[in-house]
Amino acid sequence: MAKNFGKKIKNIGIFAGFGLPATIIWASVVLIPFIYGIWITFTDWNGLAIDINYVGVQNYLEVFTDSTFVTAFFKTVIYAFFTVIASNLVGFLLALAVTSGIKGQSFFRTGFFTPNIIGGIILGYIWNFIFSYALTTFGKSIGVEWMSTSWLTHPTRALIALIIVSSWQMSGYLMVIYIAGLTNVPKELLEAAYVDGASGFQVVRRVKLPLIKNSTAICIFLSISRTFMSFDMNLSLTAGGPYKSTELIAYKIYQTAFTSMEFGKGQAQAIVLFVIVAIISLLQVYFTRKGVDEQ
Amino acid sequence: MKKKLLSTILAVAMTMTALVGCGETKAPAASNDSAESTEASTEAAEVTETAEPVEDVEISFYTTETGKDQMFQDIIADFESKNPGIHVEYIAAGDDQLQQWMALYSSNEGPTVSLMDPINIWENQERMLEYTGMSFVDNIEPSALSTMTFDGKVYAVPQTAAGVGLLYNKAVCDAAVGGDFDPSSIKTRSDLEDLFKKIEATGVDATCFTGVNWSLGSHYLCQAYGAAIGTTEERVAYVNSIIAGETKEIDNDVFNGYMDTFDMMAKYNHNAADPLVGDVNIDAAALAAGECGTWFMGDWAWTFLGPIVTEGQEFGLLPIPHSDDPNDVLNQSIATSFAKGYCVDKSQNTEAQQAAGLKFVEYITSDSYAEEQMAKVCGQALPYKNATVEIESPLGLSTANYIANGKTYDFYGTPNLCPSDIWYECGAYMCEYLAGQTTREELAAKIDEYWSHQEAR
Repeated sequence: MAKNFGKKIKNIGIFAGFGLPATIIWASVVLIPFIYGIWITFTDWNGLAIDINYVGVQNYLEVFTDSTFVTAFFKTVIYAFFTVIASNLVGFLLALAVTSGIKGQSFFRTGFFTPNIIGGIILGYIWNFIFSYALTTFGKSIGVEWMSTSWLTHPTRALIALIIVSSWQMSGYLMVIYIAGLTNVPKELLEAAYVDGASGFQVVRRVKLPLIKNSTAICIFLSISRTFMSFDMNLSLTAGGPYKSTELIAYKIYQTAFTSMEFGKGQAQAIVLFVIVAIISLLQVYFTRKGVDEQ
Repeated sequence: MKKKLLSTILAVAMTMTALVGCGETKAPAASNDSAESTEASTEAAEVTETAEPVEDVEISFYTTETGKDQMFQDIIADFESKNPGIHVEYIAAGDDQLQQWMALYSSNEGPTVSLMDPINIWENQERMLEYTGMSFVDNIEPSALSTMTFDGKVYAVPQTAAGVGLLYNKAVCDAAVGGDFDPSSIKTRSDLEDLFKKIEATGVDATCFTGVNWSLGSHYLCQAYGAAIGTTEERVAYVNSIIAGETKEIDNDVFNGYMDTFDMMAKYNHNAADPLVGDVNIDAAALAAGECGTWFMGDWAWTFLGPIVTEGQEFGLLPIPHSDDPNDVLNQSIATSFAKGYCVDKSQNTEAQQAAGLKFVEYITSDSYAEEQMAKVCGQALPYKNATVEIESPLGLSTANYIANGKTYDFYGTPNLCPSDIWYECGAYMCEYLAGQTTREELAAKIDEYWSHQEAR
């Protein structure tokens, strides 16, 4: 009995040695601010005041009656919808390409993953320059009208620009996860399928896709939660412009809290967003994995 | 056994690196007492400016002026050499200035001295040290203190006088009028349009808007709440009547007057093909190169123009006329604002730090070296009685000229006439209007809607 107890202490000690630093950091950067934030949502704090007044659930009620919040939310839904589809499609196709045994596929894997390493802020500034100046100069020189003015000064084109750049950045990341899934597909199954006369397309559709359902679930979950919380790209590429037309929900929350100095209200919006995204993501994982279990 | 030892060493090493990070950030925070004890000590005792710091004091200085880091660091170095024992940590301005200030206070590192917009100081006045009666305030021109005084108490001292208006490239204007261009010849909107037509006839774009929210929202739109409405009391009353829903902007002559001028200028906009690709550096280069004759901006643009103009080039400021009345003095006056002020925090800084902070504020508003640096880099008029330094910037000289001739008016008149987020919200509506995506009625309605959510001033 004593021996077991001693072993248990030892195990906890080993876990603490490895896990405690990370847990402490995670708690102080994620958990504690989260709890503190929930407390702030019941106040009317403006971010600077010394005294704090409690206002009950007023901030939460205002979230749903604020038309700008609802508009920004639906804009984010549209942005997320197209970005999730585009980045997953591109990521999956790239993964197929770099697992097909072509020459230099390791090099290609690294190359396609690189945009993901460049932070969202820097990427946003680079693409801002491309859309505002590089593409327009090129468009003017070849006389194409829709390329002669900056994409970022028209509401619809600015949103499309956001979708393009986010998909470009995220597809490399998703590609890596799809690669892991695809390389785990048993080779015997693939060979058997080819022997049975299946075309490449049929192999992908009937053999590979069903067997990477786990990877697909993870990829869709990650892309949904990331696109809903997208902030850095929004800030550096469009800054919510032109005239607040590409203000996605995270950016809107940030402006409410800091620029308009309505910290309690902004925090309440953030909590509501968190709950919505958590529900969507968990539902999505549940339904995708249900498919896996059924097999 | 060896593997276990190795993994233990690695784990300890990781923990050490995490703790080292924590340790470093604790050092500056330790120099600020906790909020409770500081508030208690300031309630109990008065801080006088003559309190000498006995030992080494560390203070911090946060500025919201971008592009002037070197100037501030030079000024700090000089201050430290003249005040041994005081060390000033410089916190540079980033993109989001208010958010950074809020973050500093949240982490209990409220800067000792901050250079902020008056509206932000007004919103945060409970944390600020009151300057009323202190000797260095006597060195400030009284007219410059209006936006820094809240309910009769002075909470900040201004940095520079900024003139807002139409920058003009004298060579382009001379060519347009076929002689020596006299800025005082522009008395009405029609005069301005005539000038624009003449500039266009020489093959140069007449004017330029930088299509960004702060320029169109904070500077252009806020003229419609300025002296054209009347005295400070009348301006506050007007804004309050919009907040209460009693008045609509679209019915107001001043608003329509400025918007008529805006519409006229937009026709000759150098950036008309894509008005919202806004970049001050590119537009400054266009003005300097003579690609456009005028540019709606302010005399602070010398920071961008100064390094790129050639020897002998002349520039100046023109007012924005809001009507066709040649007898309206305002059509010939520049709006000046004391856009930023130095405030000292008392809520998260010890008495010794506050005293050192006051010394720094006194230094930066009266020392000849500091004044010299600011005149050189900012190129703007300094509202200090003892300032004898020559301004090199032709823009600053132009503003100073208008001030000397009495042809200026205080942009806001009070510190909190316009809320701190008007540049972001209404600036967006102005950008939409410039891009031709809304009508004036819709613009006015959106601005009314914005005001209806604000508190009475």
